[in-house]
Amino acid sequence: MSDLNHEIKLLIIEALDLEDISVDDIDDDAPLFVDGLGLDSIDALELGVAIKNAYNIKIDGNTEDSKKYFYSVKTLSDYIQISK
Amino acid sequence: MSLRFDIRKCVAWAPGLESDEDWRLWQQGEKALTDELSLPQLTSIPAMQRRRLSPFAKIALHCALEASGEYQANIPCVFSSRHGDLHRTTKLIESIALSKDLSPTQFGLSVHNAAAGLFSIFTGNRAPLSAIAGGQSSFMQGLLDAVAKLEANNLSRILYVYCDLHVPECYRPYVVDDTSIGIGLLIEATEDENNAYNLSYNAVEDTLGSDCQALNFMGFILSNESQLLTNIHQQTWLLRRG
Repeated sequence: MSDLNHEIKLLIIEALDLEDISVDDIDDDAPLFVDGLGLDSIDALELGVAIKNAYNIKIDGNTEDSKKYFYSVKTLSDYIQISK
Repeated sequence: MSLRFDIRKCVAWAPGLESDEDWRLWQQGEKALTDELSLPQLTSIPAMQRRRLSPFAKIALHCALEASGEYQANIPCVFSSRHGDLHRTTKLIESIALSKDLSPTQFGLSVHNAAAGLFSIFTGNRAPLSAIAGGQSSFMQGLLDAVAKLEANNLSRILYVYCDLHVPECYRPYVVDDTSIGIGLLIEATEDENNAYNLSYNAVEDTLGSDCQALNFMGFILSNESQLLTNIHQQTWLLRRG
């Protein structure tokens, strides 16, 4: 697991108060929303703010592109790397 | 003027005092409030929804759900709190001071009616609901609002929930009688004068009071005393039995 992926998982758990979930429970490629981790639209907003605060990268709201970036830990990690 | 009502159920939560038995022992002087506030489990709420509940919301919801019981899906409610979820609000203000973006969850759940709204969402309750704040008299003001609604709207019952938590560190110098406590009351209309409570309120010239009304109320309800009289600023509250 890359360091950034690990970091993003910790950020997700902390920002979204996923008390019962550990880093090992989150698969790099599994969907974060609806299926997979089962996050909802408030989580998407919350995660957007957490990423902006942590990496100073702004992911615009409900666009087709943002849906792609938010798909999984892997897609988020790739987007953060190219945007840095 | 005095308003008559019955209290069918009383559920309370404070540091070290969580069950009916705890409160009974407290009233008898055999148990005291502790420093450590533990939180209700709220197992009836799904984990993915429960994770967004703050300590304040957890205590308010516990009292609301336990007191309303079988009526929780359709009972009208009054929620009262002096400070509301001040711990959330304080985090938001700190974020603003640090020029950070605000957490949408913190923002959405920091409003004064957030706990009442969460209760209504979890139970599917669409009955009228209000959330009030009344300074140091918040407990009695909320009770007054609940029993006035019971009377004016000819309701058979109403849920009253009061909750306040020990304020965050930065506000402590400004707040006296700061106790963490949640109380849920199932209040019903009654024709039976002998087994009822009467609440009346008077404006007075000036009184200096700084008691914790919610704790005083718990002491009264568990006792055989005939009345509870509290004075706060320019208000006198009288709650009588029978």
